[in-house]
Amino acid sequence: MMKVARAFSAHSRASRNPAGKAKSWVGAFAGTSGSQGWLDFMGTRSGIQLALPLAMLVIVFGGAGRTSAAETAAVSKPELEAKIKYCEICHGHSAEGFEGYYPIPRLAGQTPDFIKYSLQAFAERTRTNNIMFHVARVLSPDMMAALGAHFHDLNAKPLGAGPTDLVAAGKEIFETGVEPRGGGRIKSCSSCHGDNAEGNQDFPRLAGQLDDYIVDKLTNWSKEFGQHPSKMDVSRIMQPIAEALTEAQIKAVAAYLSSLQ
Amino acid sequence: MVLSFPSAPAGTPREGCRRRIVKASGLRLALQLAIAVVVFATAAGGAATKALAFSSHELAAKIAYCQDCHGPAGQGYRGFYPMPRLAGQQVEYFEDQLRAFVEGRRLNSIMSPVARSLSPAMMTALATDFRAFNPRPLGGDRRELAAMGEKIFQDGVPEQNVPACAACHGPEATGIKQIPRLSGQLYLYMVKTLTNFRKDRKEHLSDVMYPVVESLNKRQIEAVAAYVSSLR
Repeated sequence: MMKVARAFSAHSRASRNPAGKAKSWVGAFAGTSGSQGWLDFMGTRSGIQLALPLAMLVIVFGGAGRTSAAETAAVSKPELEAKIKYCEICHGHSAEGFEGYYPIPRLAGQTPDFIKYSLQAFAERTRTNNIMFHVARVLSPDMMAALGAHFHDLNAKPLGAGPTDLVAAGKEIFETGVEPRGGGRIKSCSSCHGDNAEGNQDFPRLAGQLDDYIVDKLTNWSKEFGQHPSKMDVSRIMQPIAEALTEAQIKAVAAYLSSLQ
Repeated sequence: MVLSFPSAPAGTPREGCRRRIVKASGLRLALQLAIAVVVFATAAGGAATKALAFSSHELAAKIAYCQDCHGPAGQGYRGFYPMPRLAGQQVEYFEDQLRAFVEGRRLNSIMSPVARSLSPAMMTALATDFRAFNPRPLGGDRRELAAMGEKIFQDGVPEQNVPACAACHGPEATGIKQIPRLSGQLYLYMVKTLTNFRKDRKEHLSDVMYPVVESLNKRQIEAVAAYVSSLR
């Protein structure tokens, strides 16, 4: 930095006009000094000495406005953006989900932990889905984390809301739980998933999720989740819950959740 | 009035063939009449602003007209241009495309005037009719590429950010609602479509395909086309 300071003072000495007034160094860059244009200045030794630290400053701070929490050193911006664009082909322009042949779930606003966990589960086949297995198997942990951070920040309107007449019943189940026929009690969904179904770390956000996606997952839980022969999986928490819920309860809670912003 | 029928098996004796023709066209006439009755009934009960109904003759003539280019059972035809299979196509997709031709969201100098001659009710009737046809695919071109195409279709190519077609088009390429059936589609038509996608299709519904076609290379397009063209 001392070199920079010396360069500045050397330059300002050089750029004084015959009247002895010091020219602003800004003027030198703007090319108004008359004695040296900024390009000429940059070509000089003091110019290069100034240029390098300046360049470093520009690189470090220049991208600050656009550098998101999602970017890490290991995942380049173009790589991440290309991958996001690819995810959004199926999951929707703003990751709101899409009714393809299968209902493709909303990712917008999802907890980063859950996205990371899900991608890992797909890759390890703890959660079985052929298409997502192939998607996930090429992703590095850093990329998974970056994607999680990105999708968490999105906030699209819910896409596929379920039948409105079931919403009230679904709300009750969500907030107070159910008493399954086999006895015992299933506690409220909100106790893990949040009062507004916004999710919490490993417990996914459910608000605004596609109605038919929720129905499909709750109905077929044990067929898709926890499939790894030896690895204990956190999704096991949901297995007894999903199995205890009746079809009507599943439809109701799905209708409620899919209507939430 | 020309009535066509799904292709009769080869080597059929003429007598039996004639009987089959009469039976098949009887069934077809019945189907067309049924459609016409439904259309008439709804038109009679509906508001004055509803689309005009049409006679069974009109519908049959229109179907025959489509079949001139799209094949006697809508299986497609390799003319100067490859004319796509319509048989078994999703109703919603079929109607969407006809509307897109009218509105210029999909560009085709032959299909635009064709579509403009159709009332909405006629579009629905045609879509419903063609949905029911189920002829064999015209032919599995480039069979040697079909295995590669299957991998791309079912698994995608994640290293290249190519999504699995099956996610939206279904594992048997049947499509659903506004997402088209691809099974049995003409190889050349698929190649052409995927290659020229952005040029011919402006409509909102299709722009989900834009990043897909951009991520596919020529070889992959041919492979996917070879695969779906062989699917029943």
